[in-house]
Amino acid sequence: MKIQTDHQDDISVVMLEGELDFHSSPELRAKLGELTSKQTPKILIDLSKVDYMDSSGIATFVEAFQRTKRYSGRLILAGLTAAVRGVFEIAKLENIFEIAADRGEAQSRFSGK
Amino acid sequence: MEKVFELKAGSEVLPGLRKELRPLLAQGGWDERLSAQILLAVDEALTNVIRHAYDWNPGKIKLVFRDDSDQTEIVIEDQGVRFDPTSVPPPTLPREKPGGLGVHFIRSIMDELVYDKDFRDGNRLHMIKRKIK
Repeated sequence: MKIQTDHQDDISVVMLEGELDFHSSPELRAKLGELTSKQTPKILIDLSKVDYMDSSGIATFVEAFQRTKRYSGRLILAGLTAAVRGVFEIAKLENIFEIAADRGEAQSRFSGK
Repeated sequence: MEKVFELKAGSEVLPGLRKELRPLLAQGGWDERLSAQILLAVDEALTNVIRHAYDWNPGKIKLVFRDDSDQTEIVIEDQGVRFDPTSVPPPTLPREKPGGLGVHFIRSIMDELVYDKDFRDGNRLHMIKRKIK
């Protein structure tokens, strides 16, 4: 899995590419842990290039989401592929997370447009 | 059709195994969506073996993939400590704490989940997905 981070204005963008599973999720967990320990206020995770995810991927997002809530930060997941959306649905977590159709919509939400 | 995989108990084997199972599932008539779900159930079962049966220690896993006109069956055997996923109580959803969803995923995806209580050398789990005609 490729993990790339970028900053667009005041938003920290995490771009993921590949398969997010029990093997690759620790690396993502560490990256998101870095951002949340710095209390990064706006985190956008772009999942448009993730074609597979298991429950360890979900657990990684749940942990990061809970941590951002603790310091009143905001985390938006964007561009969920059908496979990834299906996993959120099995976990019944699709309404717990803030989910945007794509990166552009997530950025608009962050800027309050 | 039957194919046997001998695996090391480590998360690094998961991507390669998915790559090998995808064409077998396609041959079995599963579309991309259902194939991805079955792979997810297999991943979750193997993750449980690595974490619970072997507690992250090295070990061996045998996976048998069996496909016929009625169903696809995946049997997973290990030599670790006893761990019966069918005895895990269902979680309350949505679960807003990390973890605890793996067995729920397997139950949601597969039609039948059988833990072989007579298997004495570790654990043997049968996961069955029936084909609707």
